[in-house]
Amino acid sequence: MKRKATSVFGTVALVALVISAVFAGSAGASPVWKFNGTELSGSEVVVGGALESSMTIPGLTTKCANFLYKLKVSNSAGLGKGEVTEVPLYNCTTNSAACTVKTIAAESLPWLSKLSTVSAKNYIVIEGVKVAILYAGEECVLGGTLVTVKGSAGGLVDNTVETATFNSTTLTATGTELKALGQKIEWNGVFPTEAFEWHREQALTVS
Amino acid sequence: MKKNRTRVVCTALAVVSLAALALAGSASAKLVGAFTVFQQCPYTNPEANRCIYSVTEGGEVVLGNKKVPIVNPVTLQGGYTTAVAEFSKLVAATNGITLSKAAQPVPGGLAGIVPDASSPALVKALIKFFFENSLTGVNSTLELAKPVNEVMLSELHLAEEEEVALKMPAKFHLENPFLGKSCFVGSSTSPVMLELTTGTTSPPAPNTAIKGSGGEFEFLEEGRVLRTKNNELVDNAWSAPAASGCGGILSFLVNPIINAQIGLPAAKGKNTAILKGTTTIATALAVKKNNENNP
Repeated sequence: MKRKATSVFGTVALVALVISAVFAGSAGASPVWKFNGTELSGSEVVVGGALESSMTIPGLTTKCANFLYKLKVSNSAGLGKGEVTEVPLYNCTTNSAACTVKTIAAESLPWLSKLSTVSAKNYIVIEGVKVAILYAGEECVLGGTLVTVKGSAGGLVDNTVETATFNSTTLTATGTELKALGQKIEWNGVFPTEAFEWHREQALTVS
Repeated sequence: MKKNRTRVVCTALAVVSLAALALAGSASAKLVGAFTVFQQCPYTNPEANRCIYSVTEGGEVVLGNKKVPIVNPVTLQGGYTTAVAEFSKLVAATNGITLSKAAQPVPGGLAGIVPDASSPALVKALIKFFFENSLTGVNSTLELAKPVNEVMLSELHLAEEEEVALKMPAKFHLENPFLGKSCFVGSSTSPVMLELTTGTTSPPAPNTAIKGSGGEFEFLEEGRVLRTKNNELVDNAWSAPAASGCGGILSFLVNPIINAQIGLPAAKGKNTAILKGTTTIATALAVKKNNENNP
């Protein structure tokens, strides 16, 4: 009797495990932040500067030589989360001879972020992105116009080189988009990820 | 002697012709590339901060119960001032044609406007008079009802697809030999106030919300020119006054006929304007420089 009960219990447990695995699979695994392979407990500050970054409305590309960020990360209920708290932008230019960037600033900080898995790839999705750009130039058609980039952006996390890459493919994959002047814009950026506090110089991975 | 005189006359004519050509050349703008559309922009007028050339290529106007598709392109051109509280004033085109008078045929013509034969005797007589006229077509032309500087534009709202982008006091000119030359819906004292948006409208019933579009942006001439294709300006929350001046001296009879058949005056929520087209914008300085650099 006891053996039978154990057998039934074992079967139920196995079924439960299978069901939970199926649900986890269909909902997408919940990736978390890890340092040196160990799941982060508490929080950590990740900082970095874009290796390259540009924003394009057809015909006008804006680049910033210094595109820095500060991201506070943590894991909560088995999911990696974060808050982008600072995004200093300096030395921004355009590909137009007529247009310059007078001012550029990230607004409505912090921007909330979370990790997600799509087609077995891990992404960081940043929501509530808002960047105000004031273009200048007497001949620039946007001269004196404050252009606001708004929306959300998903970037592919590459554990091998510890970067997050944002481009049209990653935005499409994560169902995110950035808009300016009512237009869907292209954003390309590669951001290295590096711990700044307790886990400094430890390998940062997402899985 | 005669031969010599002929030669002198010919030479003089040739000189005059050349001089005329030269003068014509110096008077006309020499804009090139994407700037060519700004021929009528008042870019030398210090008030004009930007130049605009906007062509409505399609859409429709529903006035009361008459729907008029836009089949002939309508051009809005000129300049506009620096924005104050997000709105700029339009500056008149140099040729005076800020809004081109493009007549749109009213489907059904007069037959679609005048009442049927069950009308009173006088009306019947008018219908008879009318149908004996071979020119039964009616055109509707959108015209400005107030000075150009009372047309207000918000380039920010135009792009961001929110709030009102273009405020235009307008009137509709109904044209037909029977209606005379002064048959209008709207006037300078009682204009049709179009408040067009590229965003979403919120009209009173019976109309329901419709959505416009800022279109597809494209920067040309290294950021000096912005062209938006397939933009859609919409407003379906405007009211239209009664028609006036229709039928010349018989207007006291014809106006009520027109009003009854079109459904005028038409309260807010019963009319619609959908203007689909392409808009090109540049700074006045960029246009001026393009002109100077291309003698």
